[in-house]
Amino acid sequence: MTQYAQFKIFSLLFGAAYVALFFYSERTGYALFRYYPVLGRFYRDSQPIETAGPPILWYSWLAGAAVVSLVASLVVPRRLADRVPHDWIWLVNAAVLLVIIVYERRWFY
Amino acid sequence: MIQVLLIVHGLLAAALLGAVTHQAFSVGRKAKAPPQGFVERFRGVNSPTFTNAIVLLFFVTFILGSLLYPRYRIDVRPMLEDLQLRAANGIFETKEHFAAVGLGVLPVYWLFWRPPLKLEYAVTRRYLTWMLAFVVWWNFLTGEVLNNIRGLFP
Repeated sequence: MTQYAQFKIFSLLFGAAYVALFFYSERTGYALFRYYPVLGRFYRDSQPIETAGPPILWYSWLAGAAVVSLVASLVVPRRLADRVPHDWIWLVNAAVLLVIIVYERRWFY
Repeated sequence: MIQVLLIVHGLLAAALLGAVTHQAFSVGRKAKAPPQGFVERFRGVNSPTFTNAIVLLFFVTFILGSLLYPRYRIDVRPMLEDLQLRAANGIFETKEHFAAVGLGVLPVYWLFWRPPLKLEYAVTRRYLTWMLAFVVWWNFLTGEVLNNIRGLFP
């Protein structure tokens, strides 16, 4: 298990980082980058919807979560990563799923 | 091209659904030996052999879904908004979030299913498998509903 202990850090953080970036985007409108499918291009800044169409922010949340969890998994020492309780991983991710369900129920009213 | 991608995405998702459901059942309760009846036989599979296939299928299905997403954003979502199908939009939102969480869980899921399976990891292994199964089932059903939405809600 020690050999791959960094996997635990990656999986522990990915979902939490993803949902944190999503909420930050929801609150502030900020995203690392946006993909405009009508134009077929990525942009750092928001483009006018009349000419550029709707943006996709999902790729930026994924990329941000991947970078955060990858860097953390490489920085955290292996012995420390190995000591992370196993149950934390599924508990944290289950909590993330629950938070998403609670937040997204706004669509069903 | 997009139709081919969509069909392949659906086929891989169906294969993933079968594999993860087998595994999710198998970690629930120990099967009787010899297995009796359909459910016992369904549960009594050699679970670890599914792991690599599940990881690969999830990853490839995810990538194909990511490639299909722009088309959904341009063609399908505006149609859902025009038809005022808010709930349909909502379940797609959860689908994209759940897929992301599932993707993040994959490395550790693979880790806990590596042979030799240790008994001390059994609980973690079980809950990770159930979580992945929940994500796969939710996303599969959501995909099917959205794909057939014009027929379901004419």
